[in-house]
Amino acid sequence: MPGLIGARLRRREDERLVRGAGRFLADLRVRRCLEAVFVRSDTAHGWLRGVRLDGVRSVPGVVAAFAAADFPDVPVTPPMMDPQSARDRPWPALATDRVRHVGQPIAVVLAADRYVAEDGRDAAGVDIEPLPVLLDPTEAAGGAPLFEGLSNVADVKEFGAPVDEAVWRDAAVVVEGSYRQQLMAHTSLEPRAVLVRPDGGDRFTVWCSHQAPHRLRRDLAGAFGLAEERVRVIVPDVGGAFGGKSETYPEYLAVFAAARRLDRPVRWLEDRAEALTGPPHGRGQHQRTRMAATADGRILAYELLIDADIGGYPHTGAFVPLATSMMANGAYVIPRLHVRTRAVLTTTAPTAPYRGAGRPEAASAIERTVDLLAHRLGLDPAELRRRNFIQPDAFPYPTVTGYTYDSGDYPAALDVALRTIGYDGWRAEQARWRGTGGAPLGIGLCTYVERSGAGEEFAAVEACPDGTFVAVSGCCSTGQGHETSFPQVVASVLGVAPERIRLVERDTAAVPKGIGSYASRSMQTGGAALQRAAGKLVDEARRRAGELWGRPVREVEHHAGTLSSGGHRLPLEELVAATGALRAEETYAPPEAFPFGAYAAIVEVEPELGEVRVLRLVAVDDYGVVVNPLIVEGQGHGSAVQGLGQALFEEFRYAADGRPEQRGLLDYLLPTVSELPPMTFEETCTPNPNTPLGAKGAGEAGCIGVPPALVNAVADALQLDERDALQMPLTPYTCWSAARAGAAR
Amino acid sequence: MKPAAFDYVVAHSAGEAVAALAGGDTQVLAGGQSLILELNYRAARPARLVDINRVPGFDHLGVTDAALRVGPLVRHSAFADLDHGPLGTLLGRVAHHIAHPPVRARGTMLGSLAYAHPAAEWPAVVTTLDGRLVLTGGAGARTVAAADFFTGPFGTVRRPDELLTEVRLALLPVGTGVGFAEHRRTHASFAQLAALAALTVRGGRVDEVRVGLVNAADRPVRARAAERVLLDRPLDPAAFAEAGQAAAAEDADPRPQPYAGTAYQRHAVAVLVRRALDAAHRDLAPTGG
Amino acid sequence: MRVSLTVNDRRHDLDVEPRRTLADALRDDCGLTGTHIGCEHGVCGACTVLVDGVAVRSCLMLAVQCDGAGVRTVEGLAGPDGAAHPLQEAFCAEHALQCGFCTPGFLMLAAGALESDPGLVRDPERLRELLTSNLCRCTGYEAIRRAVIRAAATG
Repeated sequence: MPGLIGARLRRREDERLVRGAGRFLADLRVRRCLEAVFVRSDTAHGWLRGVRLDGVRSVPGVVAAFAAADFPDVPVTPPMMDPQSARDRPWPALATDRVRHVGQPIAVVLAADRYVAEDGRDAAGVDIEPLPVLLDPTEAAGGAPLFEGLSNVADVKEFGAPVDEAVWRDAAVVVEGSYRQQLMAHTSLEPRAVLVRPDGGDRFTVWCSHQAPHRLRRDLAGAFGLAEERVRVIVPDVGGAFGGKSETYPEYLAVFAAARRLDRPVRWLEDRAEALTGPPHGRGQHQRTRMAATADGRILAYELLIDADIGGYPHTGAFVPLATSMMANGAYVIPRLHVRTRAVLTTTAPTAPYRGAGRPEAASAIERTVDLLAHRLGLDPAELRRRNFIQPDAFPYPTVTGYTYDSGDYPAALDVALRTIGYDGWRAEQARWRGTGGAPLGIGLCTYVERSGAGEEFAAVEACPDGTFVAVSGCCSTGQGHETSFPQVVASVLGVAPERIRLVERDTAAVPKGIGSYASRSMQTGGAALQRAAGKLVDEARRRAGELWGRPVREVEHHAGTLSSGGHRLPLEELVAATGALRAEETYAPPEAFPFGAYAAIVEVEPELGEVRVLRLVAVDDYGVVVNPLIVEGQGHGSAVQGLGQALFEEFRYAADGRPEQRGLLDYLLPTVSELPPMTFEETCTPNPNTPLGAKGAGEAGCIGVPPALVNAVADALQLDERDALQMPLTPYTCWSAARAGAAR
Repeated sequence: MKPAAFDYVVAHSAGEAVAALAGGDTQVLAGGQSLILELNYRAARPARLVDINRVPGFDHLGVTDAALRVGPLVRHSAFADLDHGPLGTLLGRVAHHIAHPPVRARGTMLGSLAYAHPAAEWPAVVTTLDGRLVLTGGAGARTVAAADFFTGPFGTVRRPDELLTEVRLALLPVGTGVGFAEHRRTHASFAQLAALAALTVRGGRVDEVRVGLVNAADRPVRARAAERVLLDRPLDPAAFAEAGQAAAAEDADPRPQPYAGTAYQRHAVAVLVRRALDAAHRDLAPTGG
Repeated sequence: MRVSLTVNDRRHDLDVEPRRTLADALRDDCGLTGTHIGCEHGVCGACTVLVDGVAVRSCLMLAVQCDGAGVRTVEGLAGPDGAAHPLQEAFCAEHALQCGFCTPGFLMLAAGALESDPGLVRDPERLRELLTSNLCRCTGYEAIRRAVIRAAATG
């Protein structure tokens, strides 16, 4: 149907969700289901000397309680990325001899009622002999090992050669920065959740609030030595994920093992106290940057050294610093690039990708450094960026880190951002304020490039005899509206109304294979796969119709769900009736795409208390072809406000004893509507050259673009020559302290 | 995050409530907006709750003998649009800073006083306004000055078998200007610091001044040093900053907070006191100055 | 304890432990799972319902406190004929939800406020103060604000 790509179709999901008729995991009612509650470590690091569950088992209503000793056959948590470092450092489902972060599961308590299960938890006795606490990744790298005989540095990755000392020595200017990516809490409003139901014959149905059901099935089946077809994973409605629900966690294994042992359904609903404590945490990097340039601002070299805090066990969090490394280059031509990252174990909760997953960290490092360079040279930061951008005619552009940027027009995005925010006017205003002793006014930019999509995705389209179609995808919506946007793609190929197409995903029994939804991959990869599957379906229909009518296939036309040739006409549903089931499958693996954009922020730093007041925020993003602007714009807004959260408010903190400082959302502060600045969103469109659909990833941009734009704006407002004191979140206290230090200098 | 088990009794009179408290290990359920939070975390594990929500008359809010009398079931939201002159204006301004509408619809002023959260606004307000708190126990009622009521974070002189049945706040003189200035990180967070001020001017001189601080010490602070800078002197807005400095140096006793070192807190106290006084000054009737 | 709640105009006679929160009673004992539990300490607002017409956190009330009270949940928002409430319609139209987990709480927060004071939306400051009560992690709030204004205009 022409015009469907780019149509603002209302979401189908909304009808049930606004009526309270969604089905989230906590809403499922499964007969005889037990609720699981975990006994957890209250100590960051220590020898687990004893676990006493007698008291637990004597609490009326407690059905069972298990510690590691009761579960000798429970597998360790399957590694997801970088398996070797994880294999050497196993992450048990329930702690065995040692705990390595507060909140680590030690035992699981089961009761029909969650209240009773918590009574049981409180009756457990746990003896832990404390060991040293390691909270700082750089210190932990050389600290006492968390795993005997193994370094706390779980992984090292290096790209490019170390920059020759002569380059640093001879360059007209060299700037250095030391930046911190604070630990964050994903804080999907629905925490993690899983329900395992034994179906008899060692078969299981698993419901999980998850981003990748097929991988979860593979992990669970593999871990328990089951054939994959014995495990069915269903993902119900999911209340947000943001990278934190992509993993296979220890709790899932313990719940599976308990359900199997008791031959009863078992459910675990993470509560907010558990969710904040983690795992997972997001971000968590110490970054050191160094950049050399000529006197006229041409970048000569860039060095990025990262110590990433991956918590007590290496899991998906160990992958994030690699993702940062590979995007270190940013949007610039950099003759010499050297990146080294260390994934370091500490005694905090294990980390995982958090919305943006390595790219916000990379963008923040280079965008802060580029801004500092402009300041040092006395150049306008927009002009300095222009002098160094990879130019539009340079694509495909290979980077030192091994990526090939597919396409882009970075100067155009910057121009739109500057025009939209009224950059020159604000610069004049800033000069005026400075002249009259007004409040510090700052202008900050971020021109980012990110990576989206990876790997293959499965899709199928089937024509039904009743004139409807089924679209099948291996992706997994966690709130992104696939039920609306995927049929939109298929309908555009078939030329039929999107209402005739129904999406099936999130169920391993109905979808033969799939990767899932993370890394902004759904539309770029899954949508493109559906588009091709729909095309294949049309091809097959034409072939069959030609056969039916005895006409060459090239003379069979398809238009709006109807085949025709000569005087013949046949709707697809009648072709199905005449020739049998009609289904086309496609597994498609387009290369990564590299969406980009430019963000601009105007801030005023309230001079007395240091509060950052964001006067304007402009986001210009290029996602390639946009299928449903309603949905994509919503993702833009949402990710920008999460970016605002990282820049100004959010940080997960540990006390010196390794215990979390925050127990709830009165301490871990999320933005509310009152914290929203005036925001304007614009787009440029550089279609993805590597897929016919042309879509690139969308949905994480704001988390990438907002933080550096705001930090640069605050640094500009305070006219800081040294900016290392400005670390996120930029609390009033942080800004006040930085301003005082800057004034004293 | 489910509460541990407890018994639950409904009181239909002050006497029933006090009798329940006499049984020991019993907590009062009024608005419940802090208590049930603590129950959900199992940080509070009382054997019994006595629910006073059905006690007739406990929602009384009115003026007798030139004092506003507030009962145990007066919700934060009740102060949003209050008459009673400058006192009502001040309470209304403060109420807008407490949590958000659904919590204000349940939570009570007296509950907040009894809970004594260091960052709560009402304890500093009643301390600064010389509020009188009525505690009712088995042996009868006693009245305690707010200045004597708070003993530290979450600490008060209320005995476990006493119910806070009323707080009395003397009306502020007509012509008093009031101001409240709060510093917090987001609208979902507690105050990092706040200051309130009430300023009465007669014949161009400061006849009465009250300055209070929220979360600036281990208990609510009446900022006497700040008041001394202004009292019985000609009204001079330029002195408000000096009063703020005095509050910071002499009245505040800040403890480190996660996002505020003590030097910053003292600085912020000075700023907020000045802002509260500025607001109170703006509030004054033109003839008052 | 035996308590009687009238939820969405239907009477529910329950036998609950005193410690059971209203949120859990609605979800587990009344079978109304549209009220979501997001933080259990009164901050996120996903569990917001109307008790005797006033928006409250159902995680910070006990079911036994509500004996004899009238409770309205998201399931009671649509008309008797199933027609969407203006707020439900406006949330769809403005794309004011993504994952939808916070949505019932925002709907009830707004429903309570608009019913007692339909003119609320004409004062941006009061609307902001109302909507700052609840958390959403997906939308960035702007669409929610637009939806409430739109609902007030069409309701």
